Amino acid sequence: MFSPYLGTLVRWSLVGATMIALMYGTYKGLRLLKVRREAAVGYALILPWLLGLIIWQAYPILASFYLMFNEYDVLQSPRWIGPGNFKTMFFGDPRFWPSVRLTLGYSFLSVPLGMAGALATATLLSRNIRGVGFWRTLYYVPAVLPAAATALLWRWMFAGQGLINTVLGPVYRLLNIAPLTWFSDEKLVLPSFIIMSFWGVFGANTVILLAALKNVPKELHEAARVDGAPGWTRFWKITVPMISPALFYTLVMGMIGAMQNFTAPLFITTPGGVGTFLSVYIYQQGFTQFKMGYATAIAWFLLVLILLLTLVVFKSSPVWVYYEGEKKGD
Amino acid sequence: MNKVARNFFKNSIIFFLLGLGGAIVVVPLLWMLSTSLKGPDALFIYPPQWLPKPPVWRNYIDAWKMLPFGRFLFNTIFITVLAMVAELFTASLVAYGFARWRFPGRDVLFVILLATMMLPGAVTLIPSFLIWRNLGLLDTFDPLTVGAWFAWGPAYIFMMRQFLLTIPKEMEEAAIIDGANVAQIYWLVMLPMIRPAMLAIAVFVFQGNWNNLQAPLIYLNSMEKFPVMLGLKFFEQSLSKEAPMWNYMMAMSVLLALPILVLFFAAQRYFIEGLNMGATKG
Repeated sequence: MFSPYLGTLVRWSLVGATMIALMYGTYKGLRLLKVRREAAVGYALILPWLLGLIIWQAYPILASFYLMFNEYDVLQSPRWIGPGNFKTMFFGDPRFWPSVRLTLGYSFLSVPLGMAGALATATLLSRNIRGVGFWRTLYYVPAVLPAAATALLWRWMFAGQGLINTVLGPVYRLLNIAPLTWFSDEKLVLPSFIIMSFWGVFGANTVILLAALKNVPKELHEAARVDGAPGWTRFWKITVPMISPALFYTLVMGMIGAMQNFTAPLFITTPGGVGTFLSVYIYQQGFTQFKMGYATAIAWFLLVLILLLTLVVFKSSPVWVYYEGEKKGD
Repeated sequence: MNKVARNFFKNSIIFFLLGLGGAIVVVPLLWMLSTSLKGPDALFIYPPQWLPKPPVWRNYIDAWKMLPFGRFLFNTIFITVLAMVAELFTASLVAYGFARWRFPGRDVLFVILLATMMLPGAVTLIPSFLIWRNLGLLDTFDPLTVGAWFAWGPAYIFMMRQFLLTIPKEMEEAAIIDGANVAQIYWLVMLPMIRPAMLAIAVFVFQGNWNNLQAPLIYLNSMEKFPVMLGLKFFEQSLSKEAPMWNYMMAMSVLLALPILVLFFAAQRYFIEGLNMGATKG
């Protein structure tokens, strides 16, 4: 009997060797077919990705497109039910819309807030102060913590007798209200997730925006200063347009990431599962309820949501993203 | 004199704001550390103790021993090493193909690659699971490692291509004139030059594998095959049933955050370069 390690090691090596042989074979085969050397090398080099695209992207997408119109519990073969899964999703599942609301609310609030925080921090750090490296490192630390550790930490911070309620104690007494219960209060689950994300996310964005700020030509600011433009105006009319490509990148990537939030919510228990993000819900339906057809249908819904959001951001980008070297139509 | 005073005032405000932000970052971290050293009775003392008296260092050992975390750690390392080797190898070759060789359809394929970066993994999750099930490889490490030979992680290919575009071609051209073949050029000329990008990707691959929860959750059933993060999930579930033992949970969180933090401080440059490599427009 193979140990689990040895078995995987053998199969891993075989697949790797096969991949290299296939790349070599592709090159030789294309050369035999009189393909130019440059093209033959190119195709051979991208072969691993191309095969991956077919096996692990294209085929699964087609399969899941088929699967979402089926009822499938893994044990019996898929049963075609047409739009049945979508009917359940939109009209019959009391947990679906709350999950959509939570996911969308989280993306719409946490990403822009995180970007604003990152921009403010990056602006402070870009002012040639002493010890930039130290501050940059410090602010980046929460972003490198494992999401699971961050989630556990904040669950504890938000606990009934956790640090946050202890600090807020005098405020509660002043206003004469009962202490907030954060993740245990249905209405406060979303704000709690947003506060947690604010601590965790803006480190990486700060680094990206700081690099962008450093690339803004000093002459622009000098010229504007000579013309008597105050700091605030210079920030909005020069800095923001010049770094808008970086803002655009962080916005798009942040949105896509936030829509797929998975690990943190898995570590946070909420009353009645109101803190179930869509990705978690897909996992639960597919792998604990074994409703694979239904889970796939929700996954496609998530895909469409992400596409729509990305499209909106992309369509609006000519209005607010400025690429140097491109003509602006005004 | 006036100007000096104003500058001093301005700098003080900046340092105050930076310090305030720093405190927001640091206080929860200290809270995590302090909790991890508390006995069960000290958890809910008011006002909170920042320096537990006496510090209970045993928490770390006790928490680690509640589940076979040594085995989990070995599993994570095993998975990470296999995935990393395959991923670095294929991602760099594919990026080399896209950056340096001209072939029909290249630009279309590259746009498709960028598009796959935005595809949510949830859509392909269940069919991929079914493929591994039909291969009879559920509850093995294969789904977490063997797939890396197919250059998964389009972001790494993209990062590497961006990096290659900044490197002059003269060295390769000289090597071609000397009669070197592609494998020789890759091994002898390219590899030494792309080392910074390879290290940046290696750092991200390590971080990704260390933190990965979804794939192990779906593919692995037997506890002796769990990686650390799945172990932590299991740990959290068993501790949350009655009153959560926050001192143990924080101790485990500190332990699992530690390797990433150490790596971050040791290889900070690669973290930061990697981030910016992805963000520059190309």
